[in-house]
Amino acid sequence: MKNNFVITGMGIVSAAGSDLPSSLASLASGTRNHCSVSLFPTTLQYPVFEVKADLSAAALPPGQRTLALLLHAVDEALTMAAVTGLSARRVGVCIGTTVASQLNDLAFYRSFRENGNPELAPVDRYLKGNPAEFISRRLKLTGPALTVVNACSSGTDAIGVALAWLKAGICDAVIAGGADELNHVPYAGFASLGILNPGLCAPFDSNRRGLNLGEGAGVMLIENRSAAAGRGAGSPLFLAGYGIAADAYHLTAPSPDGIGLKAAIGMALKEAGIAAAEIAFVNAHGTGTQDNDLVEGQVLAAVFGKEIKFLSTKGYTGHTLGAAGGLEAVFAAAGLQAGWIPASAGFIATDEAIQLSPVSCTTRITGSYALSTSLAFGGNNAALVIGLEG
Amino acid sequence: MINLLGIGSLFSGGFGVDALEAALAHGWTSPQQVAAAGGTQAVYQVNLENIADRTLLKKMRRADKLSKMAVLAAADALADSRIDPAGKRVGIILATAFGAHVTTFDFLDGIIDYGEANVSPTAFSNSVHNAAASYISSTLEIFGPTLSVTAFRFSFETALQLACCWLEQGRVDYLLVGAVEQYGEVLGHVSRARLLPPDDGRLQPFSFLPTYNVPGEGALFLLLGAAAAADRYCRLAAVTTASAVTDLQGADLVIINSDGSHEDERGYLATLPAGQLLSAYSPLFGSIMTGSAFNLAAGALMLKRQKLYAAPQQSNPHALKIVTATGAAALETICTLNMNCSGERAVVRLQRNEQ
Repeated sequence: MKNNFVITGMGIVSAAGSDLPSSLASLASGTRNHCSVSLFPTTLQYPVFEVKADLSAAALPPGQRTLALLLHAVDEALTMAAVTGLSARRVGVCIGTTVASQLNDLAFYRSFRENGNPELAPVDRYLKGNPAEFISRRLKLTGPALTVVNACSSGTDAIGVALAWLKAGICDAVIAGGADELNHVPYAGFASLGILNPGLCAPFDSNRRGLNLGEGAGVMLIENRSAAAGRGAGSPLFLAGYGIAADAYHLTAPSPDGIGLKAAIGMALKEAGIAAAEIAFVNAHGTGTQDNDLVEGQVLAAVFGKEIKFLSTKGYTGHTLGAAGGLEAVFAAAGLQAGWIPASAGFIATDEAIQLSPVSCTTRITGSYALSTSLAFGGNNAALVIGLEG
Repeated sequence: MINLLGIGSLFSGGFGVDALEAALAHGWTSPQQVAAAGGTQAVYQVNLENIADRTLLKKMRRADKLSKMAVLAAADALADSRIDPAGKRVGIILATAFGAHVTTFDFLDGIIDYGEANVSPTAFSNSVHNAAASYISSTLEIFGPTLSVTAFRFSFETALQLACCWLEQGRVDYLLVGAVEQYGEVLGHVSRARLLPPDDGRLQPFSFLPTYNVPGEGALFLLLGAAAAADRYCRLAAVTTASAVTDLQGADLVIINSDGSHEDERGYLATLPAGQLLSAYSPLFGSIMTGSAFNLAAGALMLKRQKLYAAPQQSNPHALKIVTATGAAALETICTLNMNCSGERAVVRLQRNEQ
């Protein structure tokens, strides 16, 4: 059955809010909490979306901000799911990230260059900082733990991996999503690529000028329906399908024909067992860069037609890289359940090359399925179909 | 049941599954000495200059060494399988513990030397963890699912576990699943600072305490498929990860992944059934966080050839039952056993192809 894997808990933290209710309130009001970089010294002037939530409850040492963000979201998801005794069940963890997978501590490396014998504490933090392993050990779980490092589609792919594990019967439940902190290295890297916006991002707008980086975490607890029922839990939301495909085209640019994204969407719809017309809305990747939005918009028009309701939530969160897919899946599920989606922040004018416009105001949604898409460095494309019963 | 249809290998001992098999037959060779802060370090390092066919390397001149090693091994696995990917649903799952750390440090060099506004976009692009998988996809024109994953010590086994799910669920027809790691001076320094280098360059996989570490690098890919092929290597019967329960029951041979990556590897001793026949091939390729991929390939070769390869280091202070000589053997089941520093285990069970 396509509704066998229910989403019983969701947690989220980003510049839009410290939890799901406050994030949805920001989206409803159109609030964009951008700022200058405060987390590291920089001479670059591109605005960002930093998390202002109190992360001290994680009680983690400095240098583990991604884990603190992740734990914050996981705590909310598990609270929503009202779940206890996870260590006694078969629970897996699959988390997408970019920053936490890299040993990129600038002070450590500078010390290595200067004296050849740096303090190794940053290495220890890194070795203990694999996000999936961290959560698995913290919660004393016994299922598989895997961190997906598929660049900007990592969070979406992590939720897709969870679906494969659940279908295979490896787990009864999976904590899945994405987490990434705002970090100096990708900030400088994206600046070097010339795709950071000196102003605020405007996904799908004709005058879009690039992306804003952000940070956060978005997590779901996905359970086998019968296992959830066994503990007296349930949810009308379910994970219905996942698709993933490559462009096989270029390291940083999407294929102009959108071949990989079309294939990923097709695979997700097929697994969900639904037609494109059954999709109520799409939470698009929509970074605000020229190339991404052009290809993605054209593919959405080709697959769903010009009347499809879609948006990008990156105008509220910034591009949170490995967390993006997790955040956006949660927003898609919450929107589907609440029956509305917010305005696609930053959009003003239709791009004639795309010929498709995202929603520009809070929009009522009716339907049973939402799609969340991600496009990544390396030409990877991923899509999730989320369903709502009733 | 998932079938292992092709193996692609690149390590210090050479390129191609034949080079891996030759190394298994030949036994231990000493590591190279490379320059390191304050002297030299023993390392099993890949020399890409020795690759005779430059066709693939010319296609990715801007790629870093990690990506080049991954592409070469993936292409080799595909060629070894004799499967033409055209018109088939082929995917990629790449496992790496440390990813493109050497290129990441190159990028940090740019920040330190030239300032954050003047860094190299090419270095940044190549430092992203999934760059190697992307190069495989574009170079080999594979349009299916392309995923990069990391779980430090269990990166490869967890990738393999997911591969089995995807194949059994029909998401793809074939999957290239592999591991790649690169040696670099920073992690080399960490190795020297935290772990013991052997005086004679020899890893001692049956010592367990103390352990000895000789960094290695390379890439190992498998071509897996759900369709049976009797003349290929073997079948993957089960993959379990991070589990407290370890099923080694009935294994004709257990290949352990002890390689000195941890200070104390006595967990293997506590896990192994009494009298179990053992081997370990890490002395051939060095201490590699995802080196269990090479051990698994060795197991697959042995099942196919119905032949045991002697453990390349025979020092056996715990009087274990290890493979002491190379020769014919009736082998039905081989397990690989990997352990991490938290005492968790990953087991892959390989079975001989049905004849």
